[in-house]
Amino acid sequence: MANVSFTNVRKSFGDFTALESLDLEIHDGEFVALLGPSGCGKSTTLRMLAGLEFPTSGDISIGGRVVNDLAPGKRDIAMVFQSYALYPHMTVGENIAYPLKKRGLKKPERDEAVRRAAELLQLEPLLNRKPKQLSGGQQQRVALGRALVREPRVFLLDEPLSNLDAKLRSYMRAELIELHRRLGKTMVYVTHDQLEAMTMADRIVVMHGGRVQQFDTPDAVYNRPANRFVAGFIGTPPMNQIEGTVQGATFVVNSHRQPIKREAFAASLVDGPAVMGVRPEFVGIHDSGDGLPATVRLAENTGHETIVTLELPDGARIMSRVEAGRKLSVGQPVILRFDPAGIHLFEATENGARLNLDIPVAATLSQSA
Amino acid sequence: MTTIATDPPRNGPSPLERSYSRLGMLLIAPTIVVFSAVIVYPLLAAIYLSVFSIYTPTLEGEFVGADNYIEMLTGGVFWSSLLTTLIWTVGTLSLQIVFGVGLALLLHQNIWFRSLARSLVLFPYFLSTVVAVLVWRWLFNDLYGALNHGLMQVGIIDMPLDWLGSMPNAMIGVILVGAWKYFPFVVIAVLARLQTIPENLYEAARIDGAGPIARFWDVTLPQLRSVLTVIILLRAIWDFKEFDLLYLLTGGGPVTSTQTLSLLVYQEAFSLNRMGQAAAYSVGMMLVMLVFMILYIRRTKEES
Ligand SMILES: Nc1ncnc2c1ncn2[C@@H]1O[C@H](COP(=O)(O)OP(=O)(O)O)[C@@H](O)[C@H]1O
Ligand SMILES: [Mg+2]
Repeated sequence: MANVSFTNVRKSFGDFTALESLDLEIHDGEFVALLGPSGCGKSTTLRMLAGLEFPTSGDISIGGRVVNDLAPGKRDIAMVFQSYALYPHMTVGENIAYPLKKRGLKKPERDEAVRRAAELLQLEPLLNRKPKQLSGGQQQRVALGRALVREPRVFLLDEPLSNLDAKLRSYMRAELIELHRRLGKTMVYVTHDQLEAMTMADRIVVMHGGRVQQFDTPDAVYNRPANRFVAGFIGTPPMNQIEGTVQGATFVVNSHRQPIKREAFAASLVDGPAVMGVRPEFVGIHDSGDGLPATVRLAENTGHETIVTLELPDGARIMSRVEAGRKLSVGQPVILRFDPAGIHLFEATENGARLNLDIPVAATLSQSA
Repeated sequence: MTTIATDPPRNGPSPLERSYSRLGMLLIAPTIVVFSAVIVYPLLAAIYLSVFSIYTPTLEGEFVGADNYIEMLTGGVFWSSLLTTLIWTVGTLSLQIVFGVGLALLLHQNIWFRSLARSLVLFPYFLSTVVAVLVWRWLFNDLYGALNHGLMQVGIIDMPLDWLGSMPNAMIGVILVGAWKYFPFVVIAVLARLQTIPENLYEAARIDGAGPIARFWDVTLPQLRSVLTVIILLRAIWDFKEFDLLYLLTGGGPVTSTQTLSLLVYQEAFSLNRMGQAAAYSVGMMLVMLVFMILYIRRTKEES
């Protein structure tokens, strides 16, 4: 068993608190992504799990055993660094064999393990090369190989794909998913790229400002964001957040009254200021009729859809996702209507919590990229 | 004068390229002149002088062909002096490297006095050789020197030792002073390199199960290899031809036991007034150093 748990972990560097109380339960064999903007504490979390940083307080355990005082080499983990951190003077084969050598394995056993890893990652022709003679993608695979050979209980990966070009990155995403499926090992994957997290992870830890904002499946994080931060971080473009007022069974924004089902929201939703969240795919653009008047500011055709930026009379901006080829000109006045199935309400505070009760509404959507 | 605008012909340099290369020549000309005056001319002059028997004060003498070289190869003085030079070079260089690398590793650690220590360590290197030697001669003095005093206090010796006037003490003394004077160069060069070793490599090694000693051998040392090669070659060349420190500290003595080739050349030219023979010795010395230099040049070419 290699479940990983963080219990009330805090980490400060001097006066600066990088992580406030962190609680995570990662299951055995799970692929978990730590996702968040730069500086939110993802790497610090991973490095504490690796034993490269020490928690200021709290416990970290692997497989039920507290590892706080265990050296990195004794934790039975392997880590892939963003910079790959290959030993430059060693050949590919020597790099991959190094952790086994440090464990005292004999040469024939090491060679066999290296051969198997090289076969899995298609590195056989490169075994005698030095890292400098490899492309970024090849170095990446060597770093993976070095992690693989030791058959660790937990794999830690810190932005492993961010130095690759877009095409290679999408190829490696598929490779990593396949690798995880084959090995069935616990993997903790740090990224600031939501596409990587959404496509690869079983569950995502969304982090911000040293706190976990939400720890849930990609589907939940997308369709049921816990708060305004998650709503505004996940999705490209992210969820629209429109400030307004709740009045009985309506949400009033400017002069538009959007009907809402009060029973679908928590009791803490009271009349008064609130924030309505709507994903761009639920914002319909119409020429006339009932709705929220707006003006077209920009229409970006990506080929398979059009992303439209709209401006409300009060200056607020709203994004909409409509079919490709839809004719819209800049400055054109339009009417916006929101699909009731896609309406979320948040507390009006800076990072207000979501108030939907999530009674099954048919709202499972394909994740967008 | 052109009346029709045409593209410059693509075979051969364009006018712009030509004017650039003319400017380039102009800019390096002073360097070439100075280089010729202070390096090429003395070099050729030494080779020329080495086939004459020349009396230094008058700089006159007759052509003797290879006589000076035959004397050099068969006379024994050159060979014993070469041996002395090698002992001095290997001795002082080894200590410079050991202490230099050791201290660099120490200073690279996060210790509170690091920045102070970093500037202090440079002190011997920047101190003028004359001043340094005077201080060391005083320390080494057999009658009132602090070194003997200290050693006697602790009880390591009962009688004052003659440090610079007897062997092997004199050789040990110059080697120590040479190491003290020049190890800061090694510290600074190694420290600069240490700071460029990516921290991730150490972290990867720790995760791979490497302890502190394994990390030194498998991460630090391989990264230092190229800089150490260059330092060793450079310092070997410089120590091999060292003059002022040895001349001031022992003058080559007792008798000739610390007389390196530089001192031999000097003595031959200005004490014995045999400029031709001195020139032949210096040509011999240059040939030995050429080996180091070729190694150095090949090494730096490999790097780039
Ligand atoms: N060794 C350190 N000393 C001081 N501050 C640090 C250190 N490591 C990280 N931090 C700070 O902690 C915060 C979280 O860093 P990190 O975990 O690297 O973020 P990221 O989510 O981008 O990986 C950042 O504000 C960073 O500046
Ligand atoms: Mg990071």
